[in-house]
Amino acid sequence: MQQDDKTEALVTGQGRYLYCVADSGEQVNLGAIGIEGSKVYTIPYRDICAVVHECPAEPYNSTDPEVVNSLVLAHQKVVDEAWERWGTVLPLGFDTIVMDKDGVGAEENVRNWLQSDYDNLKTKIEKVRGKAEYGVQIFWEPQVIAQSLIKTSPEISQLEEQIKSQSKGVAYLYKQKLENALKRELEAKADQCFRDFYQRIRRHVDSIGVEKTKPGGGNTQMIMNLSCLLPRDKSNQLGEELENINSIDGFSVRFTGPWPPYSFVGT
Amino acid sequence: MEPTRDTHYTLVDLLDRVLDKGIVVYADIIVSVAGIPLIGVNLRAALAGMETMLSYGVMQEWDQKVRAKTTGIGKQRELPLPVCLS
Repeated sequence: MQQDDKTEALVTGQGRYLYCVADSGEQVNLGAIGIEGSKVYTIPYRDICAVVHECPAEPYNSTDPEVVNSLVLAHQKVVDEAWERWGTVLPLGFDTIVMDKDGVGAEENVRNWLQSDYDNLKTKIEKVRGKAEYGVQIFWEPQVIAQSLIKTSPEISQLEEQIKSQSKGVAYLYKQKLENALKRELEAKADQCFRDFYQRIRRHVDSIGVEKTKPGGGNTQMIMNLSCLLPRDKSNQLGEELENINSIDGFSVRFTGPWPPYSFVGT
Repeated sequence: MEPTRDTHYTLVDLLDRVLDKGIVVYADIIVSVAGIPLIGVNLRAALAGMETMLSYGVMQEWDQKVRAKTTGIGKQRELPLPVCLS
């Protein structure tokens, strides 16, 4: 287990690392497929089970992004295995560890949690049954879009003309005016694209979550970041719609998945 | 256009999900991940975990100490890390 120097880990008890809750009451050993080769098995309660491994009650931890990546990928690999095996799973986020407490063992605490949260977990299982999550990120190149705005916006094309006919000092002021106008128009255009694309994507999915946008690379800017829930192998229509958006000049689309439904099982 | 699972940007997209999403277990039987400097995202997870624990009264003593410190001295960069109680 990776341990950061600054983290005090005074807990010495036993823990159970939780990967996911699966749609099966099966009690089974899945083998040493877990994080750092841990033996993964299920703790069943009625017709559901928690997929876990045994570990100390300390979080997995590292300041090295490479190590974090491999830990997180190991987590995902187990969730994937469970997903393949049982068809429907509720994934947990990385580093969810149940510990023993007040004389009750960690394993017992996992079962108690399944029991006390059973109705809620079953509702979530029904919600995501047979479905998968897909990531959709839409980027644009502001410079390319700005060029097309110069042609289509009367205010901006007029300012462009005025700059050409002015002396240097005055032209500078007009340039600033032009930049402000462009910024406004770009923002309005981004809003409009968001609404338009959202509606187009909405038609092909069961649920949609709007995520925070992130910095794009190079000349691009992310204008939309979505999580979409839809039947696992029915992503064709969504793919076609995204292809249409991808082919618009200045726009590009990233389409990832299928993922277990991480974004649709939270509260 | 086909969805993909195996390129660099796909990894980033996946990390966001695994670190930030999934079922949340609201109970004081969960080991806290506070203080883990993963990759930015984790700070949010740590904070969320702390808030959850505070709302269950698990770390009240720690919380009061920290509040006293921070209101007293202003910006305090090095806070004692909360330790999960078993």
